[in-house]
Amino acid sequence: MEFKEVVGRRRSIRFFEPDKPVEREKIQTILETARLASSAVNAHWLRAIVVERDKLPPEKLNQLKTPVAALTLDLAPVHIYFFCDLGIVKKIKGSRLRELVDAGALAPTHGWSHKFVDDFVYPQILEPMTNNLQGYLAAAMADCGGAAQNALLAAFDEGLGACLNTPNPMLTKQVFGVPEDWVSLWVMLVGYPAESWEAGGQRPRPPFEELYFEGDVNTPFKRDPEVVEKLKKANMIQAPAPLPGRMEEIRMLAQRLGLPE
Amino acid sequence: MVLAKPISEYETVQTWLQGLRAQWGVEPDNVDARLDMLRHFCEFVERDPDAVIADCSREVEGGKRIRIKSRRLYSEKIAEFQSGAGGDARAQARTGNLVRSFMIHNGIFMQAGVQG
Repeated sequence: MEFKEVVGRRRSIRFFEPDKPVEREKIQTILETARLASSAVNAHWLRAIVVERDKLPPEKLNQLKTPVAALTLDLAPVHIYFFCDLGIVKKIKGSRLRELVDAGALAPTHGWSHKFVDDFVYPQILEPMTNNLQGYLAAAMADCGGAAQNALLAAFDEGLGACLNTPNPMLTKQVFGVPEDWVSLWVMLVGYPAESWEAGGQRPRPPFEELYFEGDVNTPFKRDPEVVEKLKKANMIQAPAPLPGRMEEIRMLAQRLGLPE
Repeated sequence: MVLAKPISEYETVQTWLQGLRAQWGVEPDNVDARLDMLRHFCEFVERDPDAVIADCSREVEGGKRIRIKSRRLYSEKIAEFQSGAGGDARAQARTGNLVRSFMIHNGIFMQAGVQG
């Protein structure tokens, strides 16, 4: 699938085929895609634990359910728990930045050298940053968000459906026994959609001009209708929800899966 | 327990039926059967429909809060009511879901899991 169409097709899928397994190869592809996300100082804070729902002891599955996500956890055959490893910067120190210098990604043309990394970047910027928990958390989690978005897009590119949910962080850490410095982020539920791929249409978004600006915050970025048309042709901007027949589709799924209306 | 008035006259029952109409864009089918089943549930828990919903929420400054313990209790009561209902597992699930639908359209978030 072309990139723009993958972006256009992605939407939070909440009805999965509960008994249709997901190929291991596709799960690996999702993880490989997350690993290639952009990451500040090449630290890579995101960690993932993949769980096959049916291999999880029922008491653990029940423990992980939140009131809002109980049903989707039952429906999705694969759950990927994402964590943020806050300990990584102190573990690797500046070594991954040195790798970037060696790889020619960070070059003297832009002021970079091994000595700059060793003498300044780690001891004077990165290490102190980890001691300011509020700022550090925001930076690390934003980084994880980018990697998780890569993972989401990969799922759709593989013909799967997916959505992110927020688990109970304490329970998640307890169930999986993760290190103390891992912060629980999201669970990505993965499976084959039981709903149509349109899932009722592209979900509502705030107006473009409310979100993006040019030069200053008072000047909305001017949206060119020709670009919009081009993106529609590339299936990135799609018909908005609700598409005709969406309510009938939900009712049919409710009847099939035994869910309330 | 006998309800003090016809079940359709309770405010929460009207909210439920209006919610079904608004959600699905059509008049709910089998209204009498739905109301009859809800009435049976109310008898089962010995509370009228408005009281059931009131039990599950409380007014706080700035709006309403769900009473988690009460919701859990009613969730268990619905499961119990469902398992004692007639018919096969699918029919029993429909019975439970009918009561859950009443709760949901009155703002009491509730999930039951896959029962297909």
